[in-house]
Amino acid sequence: MARFRLEITKGEEIRYISHLDYARAIERALRRAKLPVAYSEGFNPHMKMAFASALSVGVTSDAEYLDVDMAEDLAEEALASRLKPQLPAGIVLNRSRIIVGRPAALMAVVNLATYRITLPYGAETSADGAAAAVRRFNEVASVSYVKESPKGRREIDVKQYLAEPVELRQAPDGLELAAAIRITPTGSIKPVEVLSVLTGDFGLPGRADGARINRTGLFVSDGERRLTPLEVE
Amino acid sequence: MIQIDPAILSRVTKPARYTGQEWNSIVKAPESVEASFVLAFPDVYEVGLSNLGFKILYHILNSRSGVAVERAYAPWVDMEAEMRRAAVPLCTVESFRPLAEFDAIGFTLQYEMSYTNILNMLDLAGIPVLAAERGDEHPLIMAGGPCAFNAEPLADFVDFFILGEAEEAIVDVAEAVAAWKKAGKPRGKTGILEKVAAIGGVYVPAFYDVAYHGDGTVKAVAPNHAAARPTVTKRIVKDLDEAPFPTEPVVPYLDIVHDRIMLELFRGCTRGCRFCQAGVIYRPVRERRPETLLKLAQELVDSTGYSEMSLTSLSSADYSCLHDTVRQLIDRFKDQGVSVSLPSLRIDSFSIQLAQEVQQVRKSGLTFAPEAGTQRLRDVINKGVTERDLEEAVGAAFKAGWSTVKLYFMIGLPTETDEDVAGIAKLAYKVLDLYKSVTGRRGAKVTVSVSSFVPKPHTSFQWYGQNSIEELERKQRLLKSLLRDRSISFSWHDAPVSFLEAVFARGDRKVGKALLAAWRRGARFDGWSEHFRYDFWLEAFAETGIDPHFYAGRERAATELLPWDHLSAGVDKTFLAREYQRALAGDSTADCRRDQCSACGVCQGLGVNVVDWGAGA
Repeated sequence: MARFRLEITKGEEIRYISHLDYARAIERALRRAKLPVAYSEGFNPHMKMAFASALSVGVTSDAEYLDVDMAEDLAEEALASRLKPQLPAGIVLNRSRIIVGRPAALMAVVNLATYRITLPYGAETSADGAAAAVRRFNEVASVSYVKESPKGRREIDVKQYLAEPVELRQAPDGLELAAAIRITPTGSIKPVEVLSVLTGDFGLPGRADGARINRTGLFVSDGERRLTPLEVE
Repeated sequence: MIQIDPAILSRVTKPARYTGQEWNSIVKAPESVEASFVLAFPDVYEVGLSNLGFKILYHILNSRSGVAVERAYAPWVDMEAEMRRAAVPLCTVESFRPLAEFDAIGFTLQYEMSYTNILNMLDLAGIPVLAAERGDEHPLIMAGGPCAFNAEPLADFVDFFILGEAEEAIVDVAEAVAAWKKAGKPRGKTGILEKVAAIGGVYVPAFYDVAYHGDGTVKAVAPNHAAARPTVTKRIVKDLDEAPFPTEPVVPYLDIVHDRIMLELFRGCTRGCRFCQAGVIYRPVRERRPETLLKLAQELVDSTGYSEMSLTSLSSADYSCLHDTVRQLIDRFKDQGVSVSLPSLRIDSFSIQLAQEVQQVRKSGLTFAPEAGTQRLRDVINKGVTERDLEEAVGAAFKAGWSTVKLYFMIGLPTETDEDVAGIAKLAYKVLDLYKSVTGRRGAKVTVSVSSFVPKPHTSFQWYGQNSIEELERKQRLLKSLLRDRSISFSWHDAPVSFLEAVFARGDRKVGKALLAAWRRGARFDGWSEHFRYDFWLEAFAETGIDPHFYAGRERAATELLPWDHLSAGVDKTFLAREYQRALAGDSTADCRRDQCSACGVCQGLGVNVVDWGAGA
């Protein structure tokens, strides 16, 4: 019996698949790899695996984390060597390790996600305008945003979820924003929502739906230090 | 290569329908092959990728080094609007090249109500929809699948059809296209059509003239070209055990309709239900050997990582070695987290026992198809199931712990009276009562699903005049009034859709004009109730002067030349006529698989044999 923690990517090739699709793709890869994954009991057994955080459709990631329980002992290298050939395009296993003991669930400890948002240059792009928009956004104390979901409308303060000021830089292929978003027990905000506030309410030039969003990391943060789930003890 | 704007993909529903990259999909460099094809499914991705026939052809063509075959699906309406607005042509999900760049595009004809999607996909690809307007610079448009057995409604749009099982014919076609290209496309499009017309099972409609009587019925269908045969007969795989089977199917990211391994046990079904077209066009029964199935199953599990395997066939419970095969499959794969399921159950207690083993503990609903509400009408349609069979099967299911039963019926069958319709309700109540007597309590859930009968070509009922929309709707109301128990839920099909199905199932070349007119008005995804626009169709019939009732509701004379008589499934028309008479007399006909031959003509005519490993093998 061993719990493995994996760091994997979600690449451009599979950017538009949902979190459920992504999880299913990994399950199938694990099965093809003939790894001794543990299954739940019951009428409809499923693989014992848990993700740190769901990723939206249209968002890529450099580092997603999941824990997979094995029903038998398995050497650390065996997982990688068997799983890698079975991973579909867009999923790369960066690293993995055996987790000792029974630590808290990934979902419960990961509390920060960092994103890089690229807005392709267009006719409307103005570097000065963009800088001013981001500065205004960073300066205000609170920004109200109405989240609409099947459960109803809910007004939230965007700024309470931002761990640090949004950074802006001019990259070769577009304006690049870096954001660090808190994941709290009561919720979080999606990067595309932060972006639509920036373009809609703060005059950031560009269209939110044409942006490329990439999750650059998931962390366990105590406010000062950021550790990846693989580094947490 | 077409790159779809991320802004478009972020706006449409399920964008992964359009972005490919699936496990086991095959991308070949265009310059590395002699001929390139597209398998185009005229419905949305989740439906199209579930089709076993296309999986087989994808596997066969791509296993040839000189051939590349890619896939395309009908974009959903939101994506179509985006594509038209941004002038993005329809492309494949492998190389993302526009369809117009391929040598040939093959559509599958699974359902009449997907025909407008074929025109729409051609149009989205920038390819003229009319065959006569396509020149040497355009891809060849081919089609196959069950509806190809009456190709006539699509004769104006499709260059050639492949009748029957295409495993071998598709290779002949691919070789012909490659050779024609290599030779510098001699005589252009006509040149290649002459070549493919010589291939068994291939029908080139442009090489035939149709003459009509004054009353609109067909007078003659005659070849107008030396390459055309008077009758085109289906292709068939004689030894299914040796036939290629796709052991590395594309595994999608999206949750598709049949998102599991499909293991085809056998092909054909000779139970002889008189309404059933599949039972005619896939004759005779040919089984795979159990050991072949186990080997294929292992390869499929290894290559896909699927957690579920479905044993598919027209009537899987009829597989001669089913019990042993199922047990072995369950034993071998249970530790690998792979479950086995049987999609079609026979109505007997043996099937329940099997279902119990297969499903282990989980008790999802069981589905039975008595098809008709009274014994008299079940005899007419030759559905060899008695009320006692159903009682025993359902009783066994209730004893085994099931409480949800789904019953499939049809209304509008030949000779049907209101008593037969009421019989459907009686049967549903009987099932409810049975649950109470078996378990001693209430709580069963019965779903009664009723479709409207559509007479199909190449069946014993191909002459039958379909019930009018009004009559079908009256019978639906009657049934609704009789099914008032809260434990019974009743669902039915939209009668106007069944009416149009009947028009195109048994239409001639003239109805193609109405198809074109309806598509021009905006008809597409007609099989999806939210997109079905009956008004478009009524306008299209009015504009083109085509009377749909002539095709759907008219009882055809026994002597009439039917629009599809030159397209043969290998089954004699005299057999079908005989069966129609027996139906009207209420006489049943035995399954030729293990009983006497009913002389349909297919084995003798095509030089093929019934292959049944349980019958003395």
